[in-house]
Amino acid sequence: MSRPSALNAQTTGANQMPALGTLYFYLTEGCNLACRHCWMGPRFDPAGNRYPMLPVELFETAIREAKPLGLYCVKLTGGEPMLHPRFTRLLEIVRRAELRLTIETNGLLCTPEIAAEIAKSPNRFVAVSIDGKDAATHEWVRGVPGSFDAAQQAVRNLVATDTRPQVICTLMRHNVGQVEAMVRMVEELGAQSIKFNMVQPTARGEDLHETNETLTIAELIALGRHVEEDLAPKAKIKALIDYPRAFRSLGGIARGDGCGSCGIFNVLGVIADGHYALCGIGQQVPELIFGEVGKDRMEAVWRDNAILKSLREGLPSRLEGVCGRCLMKEGCLGQCVAQNYYRKGSLLAPNWFCEQAENKGLFPASRLVGGPGSSRNGAMESAAAES
Amino acid sequence: MNNSDKPIANPIVVLREEFDDWAVLFNPDTADAVGTNPVGVAVWKRMDGRRSLGDIVSEIKASFTDTPDAAFEEIASFVNTLAEKGFVGLEADRKAANA
Repeated sequence: MSRPSALNAQTTGANQMPALGTLYFYLTEGCNLACRHCWMGPRFDPAGNRYPMLPVELFETAIREAKPLGLYCVKLTGGEPMLHPRFTRLLEIVRRAELRLTIETNGLLCTPEIAAEIAKSPNRFVAVSIDGKDAATHEWVRGVPGSFDAAQQAVRNLVATDTRPQVICTLMRHNVGQVEAMVRMVEELGAQSIKFNMVQPTARGEDLHETNETLTIAELIALGRHVEEDLAPKAKIKALIDYPRAFRSLGGIARGDGCGSCGIFNVLGVIADGHYALCGIGQQVPELIFGEVGKDRMEAVWRDNAILKSLREGLPSRLEGVCGRCLMKEGCLGQCVAQNYYRKGSLLAPNWFCEQAENKGLFPASRLVGGPGSSRNGAMESAAAES
Repeated sequence: MNNSDKPIANPIVVLREEFDDWAVLFNPDTADAVGTNPVGVAVWKRMDGRRSLGDIVSEIKASFTDTPDAAFEEIASFVNTLAEKGFVGLEADRKAANA
């Protein structure tokens, strides 16, 4: 018997400045892969010597200024974070600051030596992207021959140094038939979990949506149910799917699977050219850049930036469309503010997945304010039927 | 909440059962909602103002396997939490309200 969980309890005061718990560092503007679905759209840079990388001094400055604001975690991502020529120095800075380390990588450069450096961080989490059970599928998505073997080897290298990573697989028409096989493959690799993502309609992902290489909303909802109800209970590892909370089972949410919400109240991005941004979206949407590391004090940016303030005041109460009527909005916050802004030009715009689901009559009625029994009459009829 | 108290579900609150036997309790007057697991759903359906909390716990123990030793305390806590949110009252409250 668990205590009831409030679905729409107030969590953040409109005028409070929340803790800046996590910095997302987008270390590189380039990437050594050319993924069809990438929501960042970095330029292809196989050797990591063509495009800007975040200077180490700015990395240190950002961490130093964020710690008094509540920083406890950094995420190193890209582009491809391991392309950074001083990646091991960045790991050392994170260790010395006693921060939780999260890395998102395609694994190509995750050698045994790099894996050993990562393992020196006592509190760490690594995610490696693998988008198919075989080279043909993965490399169709990722665009570079040899990347499948390299990604698998990265997982093995991490496991060998006692870092059991999460494998992330983005689902699309080309690989949707491999969901079960992916779970088995990841089990055999010794990873700790697999997370299935949807293709977001941003940057290159937008192109995939337009060419119908992505799955329909109905297919994604059915797949989410299949992963939650059928695959996850039988898997030897944790199997997750990242789609909006309104579609997730309450049991899954109660287990704390950790997917399906926007961390915007406690996260700030630092992009490769040294600017603060909402997150990596700043590389696509200039108006979501907030200032410059080393020139603008982070405390002032975090406290006073007009966009951040408007988000704190407007989320979730002024979310638009179906998200504004969703009972899960307090925990979900529109799932991804950056994505929503990219698509609609409003920070409070509804999530694309939820909006499409509602338009097709597929949004779960039990999760809406206007769902079954929402009028007083409806409620009384329901109560009468029970007695 | 005592063993002899007779909780009664607020008739305004709607029980929305979902595919996995969990449910959303939704108050259309306040747009307040809570999620609850299948045991909570069974408790909710029994809060009719006639059964005491002790009766409800006994019925739950008979209906579910592996109920914990602390079932009474956990269910009482669940009901108290709902009461704090105005989702549940006591039979005595209804009598007082009708007086």
